[in-house]
Amino acid sequence: MKTLTKIALVVLPAVVLSLSANAHDPSMHVKKAEKADCSKMDHSKMDMKDPVAMAMMKKCAKQAKHAKKAMKMDHGDMKHDSKKSKEHKDDGHDH
Amino acid sequence: MKTIKILLLLAVLGFAFAATIMYSGIVDVAADEPHGDLVYWLLEETRENSIANAAKDIEVPDLSDPELLLAGGSDYEFMCASCHLKPEQKESDMSVGLYPAPPNLTIAHDEHNNDAKQQARKYYWVIKHGIKASGMPAWGKTHDDKRIWGMVAFLERLPTLTPEQYQILTAID
Repeated sequence: MKTLTKIALVVLPAVVLSLSANAHDPSMHVKKAEKADCSKMDHSKMDMKDPVAMAMMKKCAKQAKHAKKAMKMDHGDMKHDSKKSKEHKDDGHDH
Repeated sequence: MKTIKILLLLAVLGFAFAATIMYSGIVDVAADEPHGDLVYWLLEETRENSIANAAKDIEVPDLSDPELLLAGGSDYEFMCASCHLKPEQKESDMSVGLYPAPPNLTIAHDEHNNDAKQQARKYYWVIKHGIKASGMPAWGKTHDDKRIWGMVAFLERLPTLTPEQYQILTAID
């Protein structure tokens, strides 16, 4: 019983501390996050040497890259699925 | 000798007066009951001078890196905007409920006559250390200097941002 209390005294603060450290990780913010609405960006009014314009361009380029990547991944999954279903069909013939 | 006795008596009376006020419970600490003008002025002057003094020797890095703006933007959205507002937002539950009211950082505050560097130093110091009994946390306990300078870089540009620019800069990838 005494050992259990000692373990609890060590483990509980460690768990609490590790949780509080994670609470400030930027990825924890993702739950509330919304994507950048790049359609409202007016390039004609933007000074490309201004850090704000440069940051906006970077953000939208990153987002477009992610979207492209996601689309590619979808295609990959589709191929994989069709292959799988073919294998499955073959399996069916064997039986 | 007489002067010392009078001073001693005044000190004892002062302590007794302070203790009576402290323990009687007559001081209203409710956040919806504002300070009197004199108390408000005393607290504000003390706070402003303390921050200016503590921040005066801080070295300000180059804040023009767009990556700093992006990092600071998302941090501002999730850590600061609920109290210090977003472009074209007039108030929030926090900005109305807190006392002293958190400053609206979407508006340029020229009345303090600060140069940009001194303003950046002050922003950095306040974000890092917070302000006692004001609701402003010490973010430096959980955020490194780079993250804090990112927020400072974002704050410098915040009064010039449109809601559309703000949305893009503060969105998470």
